[in-house]
Amino acid sequence: MTRGFLITSIAAVTLLIPLRVAAHHGSAAFDTGKRVVLKGTVTQWVYSNPHCLLSLEVTGADGQVVRWIAEGQAPNVIFPVGYRKDSFKGGDQVTLTVEPVKNGRPLGRILQVVLADGTKLGAASSAPLNTSVPPSQ
Amino acid sequence: MRMLPGVLVVLVGLCVAVETSAQNSSPGGWLTPQWDKPRITDANRKPAPRRSIAGMWGPADGPGAGTQAQGVPAKPNNGKPENQLPYTPFGLELYRSHKALEGVDAVLPSEDNDPRNRCEPLGMPRENHYNVRLTQIFQDDYKVAILYHYDNRWRIIWTDGRELPKLVDGGVEIGGEVRERRFFGYSVGRWVDDNTLEVQTVGMMPDDRVWLDSTGRPISEQVRVTETFRRLDYDRLEWSETIDDPKVYTRPWETMKLPMRLHDPRTDVMEYYCSPSEQENYNKLFGNGASGKGAP
Repeated sequence: MTRGFLITSIAAVTLLIPLRVAAHHGSAAFDTGKRVVLKGTVTQWVYSNPHCLLSLEVTGADGQVVRWIAEGQAPNVIFPVGYRKDSFKGGDQVTLTVEPVKNGRPLGRILQVVLADGTKLGAASSAPLNTSVPPSQ
Repeated sequence: MRMLPGVLVVLVGLCVAVETSAQNSSPGGWLTPQWDKPRITDANRKPAPRRSIAGMWGPADGPGAGTQAQGVPAKPNNGKPENQLPYTPFGLELYRSHKALEGVDAVLPSEDNDPRNRCEPLGMPRENHYNVRLTQIFQDDYKVAILYHYDNRWRIIWTDGRELPKLVDGGVEIGGEVRERRFFGYSVGRWVDDNTLEVQTVGMMPDDRVWLDSTGRPISEQVRVTETFRRLDYDRLEWSETIDDPKVYTRPWETMKLPMRLHDPRTDVMEYYCSPSEQENYNKLFGNGASGKGAP
Protein backbone atom coordinates (compact mmCIF):
# COMPACT_ATOMS: atom_id res chain seq x y z
CA MET A 1 0.00 0.00 0.00
CA THR A 2 2.77 2.35 0.84
CA ARG A 3 5.22 1.21 -1.82
CA GLY A 4 6.45 4.03 -3.95
CA PHE A 5 5.80 6.72 -1.47
CA LEU A 6 8.39 8.94 0.01
CA ILE A 7 9.23 6.97 3.06
CA THR A 8 12.36 7.36 5.06
CA SER A 9 13.76 4.96 7.55
CA ILE A 10 14.58 6.25 10.94
CA ALA A 11 18.26 5.86 11.55
CA ALA A 12 18.12 7.10 15.05
CA VAL A 13 15.12 7.90 17.06
CA THR A 14 14.65 10.37 19.82
CA LEU A 15 14.29 8.72 23.15
CA LEU A 16 10.76 9.37 24.24
CA ILE A 17 8.90 8.15 27.25
CA PRO A 18 5.92 6.24 25.93
CA LEU A 19 2.56 7.35 27.11
CA ARG A 20 0.74 4.28 28.33
CA VAL A 21 -2.71 5.35 27.44
CA ALA A 22 -5.84 3.53 26.53
CA ALA A 23 -6.40 3.74 22.84
CA HIS A 24 -10.09 4.00 22.15
CA HIS A 25 -9.73 1.09 19.77
CA GLY A 26 -7.00 -0.86 21.47
CA SER A 27 -3.81 -2.01 19.89
CA ALA A 28 -5.03 -5.01 17.90
CA ALA A 29 -5.37 -3.01 14.70
CA PHE A 30 -1.78 -1.78 14.65
CA ASP A 31 1.34 -3.38 13.29
CA THR A 32 3.18 -3.16 16.55
CA GLY A 33 6.76 -2.07 16.25
CA LYS A 34 6.53 -1.10 12.58
CA ARG A 35 7.45 2.47 11.73
CA VAL A 36 6.63 4.55 8.69
CA VAL A 37 8.01 8.04 8.15
CA LEU A 38 5.98 10.31 5.91
CA LYS A 39 6.71 13.75 4.52
CA GLY A 40 3.65 15.59 3.43
CA THR A 41 1.21 18.45 3.64
CA VAL A 42 -1.32 18.84 6.40
CA THR A 43 -4.92 18.93 5.22
CA GLN A 44 -6.73 18.70 8.53
CA TRP A 45 -6.11 18.59 12.27
CA VAL A 46 -9.03 17.42 14.37
CA TYR A 47 -8.55 18.17 18.07
CA SER A 48 -11.31 16.15 19.64
CA ASN A 49 -12.25 13.09 21.65
CA PRO A 50 -11.74 10.22 21.69
CA HIS A 51 -8.74 10.81 19.43
CA CYS A 52 -7.10 13.68 17.65
CA LEU A 53 -6.62 13.07 13.94
CA LEU A 54 -3.94 14.50 11.66
CA SER A 55 -4.60 14.21 7.93
CA LEU A 56 -1.69 14.47 5.54
CA GLU A 57 -1.28 14.39 1.78
CA VAL A 58 1.78 12.42 0.85
CA THR A 59 3.13 12.41 -2.68
CA GLY A 60 4.85 9.25 -3.75
CA ALA A 61 7.76 8.81 -6.12
CA ASP A 62 5.24 8.00 -8.83
CA GLY A 63 3.51 11.31 -8.28
CA GLN A 64 0.44 9.73 -6.78
CA VAL A 65 -1.00 11.53 -3.76
CA VAL A 66 -2.28 9.47 -0.88
CA ARG A 67 -4.12 10.83 2.10
CA TRP A 68 -2.80 9.46 5.35
CA ILE A 69 -4.65 9.86 8.63
CA ALA A 70 -2.82 9.47 11.90
CA GLU A 71 -4.41 9.46 15.27
CA GLY A 72 -3.24 10.81 18.56
CA GLN A 73 -4.78 10.37 21.93
CA ALA A 74 -7.41 12.71 23.33
CA PRO A 75 -6.49 16.39 23.83
CA ASN A 76 -6.14 16.08 27.58
CA VAL A 77 -3.55 13.33 27.09
CA ILE A 78 -1.41 14.92 24.41
CA PHE A 79 -1.59 18.50 25.67
CA PRO A 80 1.24 17.87 28.16
CA VAL A 81 3.55 16.70 25.36
CA GLY A 82 2.95 19.83 23.35
CA TYR A 83 0.01 19.22 21.03
CA ARG A 84 -2.37 22.15 20.85
CA LYS A 85 -5.53 22.98 18.97
CA ASP A 86 -3.48 25.12 16.60
CA SER A 87 -0.40 22.92 16.35
CA PHE A 88 -1.15 22.30 12.65
CA LYS A 89 -2.97 24.13 9.92
CA GLY A 90 -3.75 23.24 6.36
CA GLY A 91 -0.71 23.55 4.12
CA ASP A 92 1.89 22.93 6.81
CA GLN A 93 4.79 20.77 5.70
CA VAL A 94 5.55 18.12 8.31
CA THR A 95 7.42 14.88 8.75
CA LEU A 96 5.22 12.37 10.48
CA THR A 97 6.28 9.07 12.00
CA VAL A 98 3.46 6.59 12.50
CA GLU A 99 2.87 3.06 13.61
CA PRO A 100 0.66 1.87 10.74
CA VAL A 101 -2.39 -0.36 10.91
CA LYS A 102 -1.96 -3.99 9.94
CA ASN A 103 -4.31 -4.01 7.00
CA GLY A 104 -2.15 -1.79 4.83
CA ARG A 105 -4.44 1.20 4.65
CA PRO A 106 -2.83 4.64 5.01
CA LEU A 107 -3.68 4.90 8.68
CA GLY A 108 -1.52 4.90 11.76
CA ARG A 109 -0.91 6.42 15.11
CA ILE A 110 1.32 9.37 15.74
CA LEU A 111 4.73 8.62 17.15
CA GLN A 112 6.38 11.89 16.23
CA VAL A 113 5.77 14.97 14.16
CA VAL A 114 8.56 17.27 13.02
CA LEU A 115 7.32 20.69 11.96
CA ALA A 116 8.83 22.70 9.13
CA ASP A 117 10.88 24.76 11.59
CA GLY A 118 12.36 21.62 13.13
CA THR A 119 10.16 21.58 16.22
CA LYS A 120 9.51 18.02 17.34
CA LEU A 121 6.28 16.87 18.89
CA GLY A 122 6.57 13.49 20.54
CA ALA A 123 4.47 10.41 20.95
CA ALA A 124 0.78 11.15 20.83
CA SER A 125 -0.13 7.52 21.21
CA SER A 126 0.61 4.54 23.37
CA ALA A 127 3.21 3.12 21.01
CA PRO A 128 6.78 3.95 22.02
CA LEU A 129 9.05 5.47 19.42
CA ASN A 130 12.20 4.06 20.98
CA THR A 131 11.48 0.53 19.90
CA SER A 132 14.22 -1.92 19.10
CA VAL A 133 12.26 -3.19 16.11
CA PRO A 134 13.88 -1.85 12.96
CA PRO A 135 11.78 0.20 10.55
CA SER A 136 10.40 -2.04 7.86
CA GLN A 137 9.87 0.51 5.10
CA MET B 1 -42.79 41.75 58.28
CA ARG B 2 -41.36 45.22 58.76
CA MET B 3 -38.04 43.67 59.83
CA LEU B 4 -37.73 41.50 56.74
CA PRO B 5 -35.73 43.93 54.58
CA GLY B 6 -33.24 44.43 57.37
CA VAL B 7 -32.87 40.70 57.89
CA LEU B 8 -32.33 40.24 54.18
CA VAL B 9 -29.64 42.90 54.15
CA VAL B 10 -27.83 41.13 56.97
CA LEU B 11 -28.14 37.75 55.24
CA VAL B 12 -26.91 39.13 51.97
CA GLY B 13 -24.05 40.82 53.77
CA LEU B 14 -23.07 37.53 55.40
CA CYS B 15 -23.21 35.73 52.08
CA VAL B 16 -20.98 38.33 50.47
CA ALA B 17 -18.55 38.08 53.37
CA VAL B 18 -18.37 34.29 53.07
CA GLU B 19 -18.03 34.49 49.31
CA THR B 20 -15.27 37.07 49.57
CA SER B 21 -13.31 35.09 52.11
CA ALA B 22 -13.57 32.00 49.91
CA GLN B 23 -12.03 33.70 46.93
CA ASN B 24 -8.34 33.05 47.01
CA SER B 25 -6.25 34.48 44.25
CA SER B 26 -4.65 32.34 41.56
CA PRO B 27 -1.63 34.28 40.35
CA GLY B 28 -0.66 31.39 38.13
CA GLY B 29 -3.81 31.69 36.09
CA TRP B 30 -4.98 28.58 34.27
CA LEU B 31 -2.49 26.14 35.66
CA THR B 32 -1.69 23.01 33.72
CA PRO B 33 -1.05 19.77 35.62
CA GLN B 34 2.42 19.33 37.00
CA TRP B 35 3.30 15.65 36.88
CA ASP B 36 7.03 15.75 37.62
CA LYS B 37 6.72 16.37 41.31
CA PRO B 38 9.64 15.88 43.70
CA ARG B 39 9.60 12.67 45.72
CA ILE B 40 8.27 12.82 49.22
CA THR B 41 11.08 12.30 51.70
CA ASP B 42 11.59 12.84 55.40
CA ALA B 43 12.77 16.34 54.54
CA ASN B 44 9.62 17.49 52.78
CA ARG B 45 6.97 15.22 54.27
CA LYS B 46 4.07 17.02 55.88
CA PRO B 47 1.58 15.36 58.23
CA ALA B 48 -1.77 14.23 56.91
CA PRO B 49 -4.73 16.31 58.03
CA ARG B 50 -7.14 14.43 60.25
CA ARG B 51 -9.97 12.66 58.48
CA SER B 52 -9.56 14.46 55.20
CA ILE B 53 -8.96 13.15 51.71
CA ALA B 54 -10.09 16.37 50.07
CA GLY B 55 -7.93 17.72 47.30
CA MET B 56 -6.98 17.52 43.68
CA TRP B 57 -5.31 14.14 43.21
CA GLY B 58 -3.53 12.48 40.33
CA PRO B 59 -1.76 9.14 39.91
CA ALA B 60 1.59 9.45 41.67
CA ASP B 61 3.42 7.69 38.87
CA GLY B 62 2.14 10.07 36.21
CA PRO B 63 -0.95 10.40 34.07
CA GLY B 64 -0.40 7.06 32.38
CA ALA B 65 -0.45 5.18 35.67
CA GLY B 66 -4.20 5.51 35.99
CA THR B 67 -4.98 4.54 32.42
CA GLN B 68 -5.26 0.84 33.11
CA ALA B 69 -5.43 -0.06 29.44
CA GLN B 70 -4.44 -3.62 30.21
CA GLY B 71 -7.07 -4.03 32.87
CA VAL B 72 -7.15 -3.45 36.57
CA PRO B 73 -3.58 -2.80 37.74
CA ALA B 74 -3.41 -5.52 40.38
CA LYS B 75 -4.35 -8.12 37.74
CA PRO B 76 -3.47 -6.93 34.24
CA ASN B 77 -5.09 -9.01 31.53
CA ASN B 78 -1.87 -10.23 29.95
CA GLY B 79 -2.37 -13.97 29.95
CA LYS B 80 0.10 -14.65 32.74
CA PRO B 81 -0.96 -17.42 35.15
CA GLU B 82 -0.67 -15.20 38.20
CA ASN B 83 -3.24 -12.82 36.71
CA GLN B 84 -5.92 -15.39 35.95
CA LEU B 85 -9.14 -14.50 37.69
CA PRO B 86 -11.28 -16.84 39.80
CA TYR B 87 -14.24 -16.91 37.44
CA THR B 88 -17.40 -18.80 38.17
CA PRO B 89 -18.67 -20.74 35.12
CA PHE B 90 -21.12 -17.91 34.51
CA GLY B 91 -18.37 -15.34 34.92
CA LEU B 92 -16.14 -17.06 32.39
CA GLU B 93 -18.97 -17.30 29.91
CA LEU B 94 -19.67 -13.63 30.44
CA TYR B 95 -16.03 -12.73 29.90
CA ARG B 96 -15.95 -14.68 26.65
CA SER B 97 -19.01 -12.84 25.41
CA HIS B 98 -17.26 -9.50 25.87
CA LYS B 99 -15.31 -8.33 22.85
CA ALA B 100 -12.80 -5.87 24.20
CA LEU B 101 -10.32 -3.63 22.46
CA GLU B 102 -7.67 -4.14 25.09
CA GLY B 103 -6.01 -7.08 26.80
CA VAL B 104 -4.88 -10.49 25.71
CA ASP B 105 -8.15 -11.27 23.91
CA ALA B 106 -8.49 -7.90 22.16
CA VAL B 107 -10.46 -7.69 18.93
CA LEU B 108 -10.46 -5.19 16.07
CA PRO B 109 -12.49 -2.00 16.51
CA SER B 110 -15.31 -3.20 14.28
CA GLU B 111 -15.81 -6.30 16.39
CA ASP B 112 -15.97 -4.86 19.87
CA ASN B 113 -19.02 -4.63 22.09
CA ASP B 114 -17.64 -2.43 24.84
CA PRO B 115 -20.45 -0.26 26.24
CA ARG B 116 -17.90 2.53 26.58
CA ASN B 117 -17.73 2.87 22.83
CA ARG B 118 -21.41 3.72 22.78
CA CYS B 119 -20.65 6.38 25.39
CA GLU B 120 -22.55 4.45 28.05
CA PRO B 121 -21.63 5.51 31.59
CA LEU B 122 -18.79 3.41 32.93
CA GLY B 123 -20.32 3.24 36.39
CA MET B 124 -18.75 1.75 39.47
CA PRO B 125 -16.22 0.30 39.70
CA ARG B 126 -15.06 0.82 36.11
CA GLU B 127 -14.79 4.56 36.51
CA ASN B 128 -11.95 3.71 38.91
CA HIS B 129 -10.27 1.75 36.14
CA TYR B 130 -10.52 3.97 33.11
CA ASN B 131 -8.10 6.81 32.55
CA VAL B 132 -7.96 7.94 36.14
CA ARG B 133 -6.10 11.22 35.96
CA LEU B 134 -6.80 14.39 37.87
CA THR B 135 -9.47 13.50 40.38
CA GLN B 136 -11.04 16.13 42.59
CA ILE B 137 -12.28 15.05 46.00
CA PHE B 138 -14.48 17.35 48.06
CA GLN B 139 -15.92 16.54 51.45
CA ASP B 140 -18.09 18.02 54.16
CA ASP B 141 -19.45 16.70 57.42
CA TYR B 142 -21.84 14.35 55.67
CA LYS B 143 -20.26 13.14 52.50
CA VAL B 144 -17.31 12.83 50.20
CA ALA B 145 -17.72 13.71 46.54
CA ILE B 146 -15.39 12.32 43.90
CA LEU B 147 -15.20 14.16 40.60
CA TYR B 148 -13.69 11.96 37.94
CA HIS B 149 -11.94 13.34 34.90
CA TYR B 150 -13.32 10.96 32.30
CA ASP B 151 -16.73 12.06 31.05
CA ASN B 152 -17.02 14.56 33.92
CA ARG B 153 -18.63 11.97 36.18
CA TRP B 154 -19.07 12.30 39.91
CA ARG B 155 -20.26 10.18 42.81
CA ILE B 156 -21.17 10.67 46.44
CA ILE B 157 -19.93 8.64 49.39
CA TRP B 158 -22.06 9.24 52.47
CA THR B 159 -20.08 9.50 55.70
CA ASP B 160 -22.93 10.52 58.00
CA GLY B 161 -23.45 7.09 59.48
CA ARG B 162 -26.27 5.93 57.26
CA GLU B 163 -26.43 2.22 56.59
CA LEU B 164 -25.36 0.57 53.40
CA PRO B 165 -28.48 -0.52 51.51
CA LYS B 166 -29.17 -4.22 51.37
CA LEU B 167 -28.82 -5.92 47.99
CA VAL B 168 -32.12 -7.47 46.90
CA ASP B 169 -33.58 -8.74 43.66
CA GLY B 170 -34.06 -5.82 41.32
CA GLY B 171 -32.04 -3.29 43.28
CA VAL B 172 -31.41 -2.38 46.90
CA GLU B 173 -33.63 -2.15 49.92
CA ILE B 174 -33.76 1.15 51.76
CA GLY B 175 -36.25 1.56 54.60
CA GLY B 176 -38.33 -1.40 53.45
CA GLU B 177 -38.55 -0.07 49.92
CA VAL B 178 -36.84 -1.53 46.88
CA ARG B 179 -34.87 1.19 45.15
CA GLU B 180 -33.39 1.32 41.67
CA ARG B 181 -29.99 0.18 40.58
CA ARG B 182 -27.58 2.96 39.70
CA PHE B 183 -24.49 3.15 37.54
CA PHE B 184 -22.52 4.39 40.53
CA GLY B 185 -24.51 2.45 43.10
CA TYR B 186 -24.92 3.48 46.70
CA SER B 187 -21.80 4.29 48.69
CA VAL B 188 -21.23 4.75 52.40
CA GLY B 189 -17.90 5.38 54.10
CA ARG B 190 -16.55 5.26 57.61
CA TRP B 191 -13.29 6.42 59.08
CA VAL B 192 -11.47 3.40 60.43
CA ASP B 193 -8.77 5.68 61.80
CA ASP B 194 -7.83 9.34 61.43
CA ASN B 195 -6.30 8.76 58.00
CA THR B 196 -8.25 5.88 56.50
CA LEU B 197 -11.68 6.01 54.93
CA GLU B 198 -13.25 2.67 54.07
CA VAL B 199 -16.03 2.78 51.52
CA GLN B 200 -18.61 0.14 50.60
CA THR B 201 -20.62 0.38 47.41
CA VAL B 202 -23.52 -1.79 46.24
CA GLY B 203 -26.51 -1.53 43.96
CA MET B 204 -24.81 -1.14 40.60
CA MET B 205 -26.08 -1.95 37.12
CA PRO B 206 -26.37 -5.54 35.84
CA ASP B 207 -23.71 -7.33 33.84
CA ASP B 208 -25.17 -6.45 30.45
CA ARG B 209 -24.70 -2.73 31.12
CA VAL B 210 -21.26 -2.39 32.67
CA TRP B 211 -17.80 -3.95 32.59
CA LEU B 212 -15.11 -4.05 35.21
CA ASP B 213 -12.30 -2.88 32.97
CA SER B 214 -11.29 -2.15 29.40
CA THR B 215 -10.24 -5.73 28.72
CA GLY B 216 -13.79 -7.01 29.10
CA ARG B 217 -13.55 -8.43 32.59
CA PRO B 218 -17.14 -8.67 33.79
CA ILE B 219 -18.98 -7.44 36.84
CA SER B 220 -22.55 -8.06 37.93
CA GLU B 221 -25.26 -6.36 39.92
CA GLN B 222 -24.27 -8.53 42.89
CA VAL B 223 -20.88 -6.91 43.24
CA ARG B 224 -19.86 -5.31 46.48
CA VAL B 225 -16.96 -2.92 46.11
CA THR B 226 -14.73 -2.04 49.03
CA GLU B 227 -12.44 0.92 48.61
CA THR B 228 -9.86 2.16 51.06
CA PHE B 229 -8.57 5.70 50.88
CA ARG B 230 -5.50 5.92 53.08
CA ARG B 231 -3.92 9.33 53.48
CA LEU B 232 -0.26 8.49 53.94
CA ASP B 233 0.76 12.08 54.53
CA TYR B 234 -0.27 15.52 53.30
CA ASP B 235 0.75 14.86 49.69
CA ARG B 236 0.00 11.17 49.22
CA LEU B 237 -3.11 9.05 49.14
CA GLU B 238 -3.34 5.31 48.56
CA TRP B 239 -6.53 4.25 46.80
CA SER B 240 -7.23 0.53 47.09
CA GLU B 241 -10.13 -1.52 45.84
CA THR B 242 -11.41 -5.05 46.35
CA ILE B 243 -14.43 -6.57 44.67
CA ASP B 244 -16.68 -9.35 45.91
CA ASP B 245 -19.03 -10.60 43.21
CA PRO B 246 -20.20 -14.17 43.87
CA LYS B 247 -22.09 -14.31 40.60
CA VAL B 248 -18.95 -13.74 38.55
CA TYR B 249 -16.00 -14.62 40.80
CA THR B 250 -15.58 -17.44 43.28
CA ARG B 251 -13.86 -15.23 45.84
CA PRO B 252 -13.12 -11.57 46.54
CA TRP B 253 -9.98 -10.18 44.95
CA GLU B 254 -8.00 -6.97 44.97
CA THR B 255 -8.20 -4.92 41.79
CA MET B 256 -5.92 -2.01 42.55
CA LYS B 257 -3.72 -0.18 44.97
CA LEU B 258 -3.22 3.13 43.22
CA PRO B 259 -0.85 5.69 44.75
CA MET B 260 -2.15 9.22 44.29
CA ARG B 261 -0.35 12.52 44.64
CA LEU B 262 -1.78 15.85 45.66
CA HIS B 263 -1.85 18.53 42.96
CA ASP B 264 -2.23 22.28 43.09
CA PRO B 265 -5.91 22.97 43.82
CA ARG B 266 -5.91 25.63 41.11
CA THR B 267 -5.03 23.15 38.36
CA ASP B 268 -7.23 23.41 35.31
CA VAL B 269 -8.67 20.10 34.15
CA MET B 270 -9.25 19.66 30.43
CA GLU B 271 -12.44 18.00 29.28
CA TYR B 272 -12.39 14.34 28.38
CA TYR B 273 -15.86 13.51 27.18
CA CYS B 274 -17.27 10.59 25.33
CA SER B 275 -19.16 12.46 22.63
CA PRO B 276 -21.27 10.27 20.33
CA SER B 277 -20.88 12.65 17.39
CA GLU B 278 -17.11 12.88 17.84
CA GLN B 279 -16.98 9.11 18.23
CA GLU B 280 -18.90 8.72 14.99
CA ASN B 281 -16.57 11.09 13.19
CA TYR B 282 -13.58 9.21 14.52
CA ASN B 283 -14.96 5.89 13.29
CA LYS B 284 -15.72 7.38 9.91
CA LEU B 285 -12.25 8.84 9.45
CA PHE B 286 -10.16 6.22 11.17
CA GLY B 287 -11.74 3.45 13.26
CA ASN B 288 -13.62 1.71 10.46
CA GLY B 289 -10.64 1.79 8.13
CA ALA B 290 -8.33 0.48 10.83
CA SER B 291 -10.71 -2.47 11.10
CA GLY B 292 -10.77 -3.04 7.36
CA LYS B 293 -14.32 -1.79 7.01
CA GLY B 294 -15.41 0.42 4.15
CA ALA B 295 -13.53 1.38 1.02
CA PRO B 296 -9.77 1.47 1.38
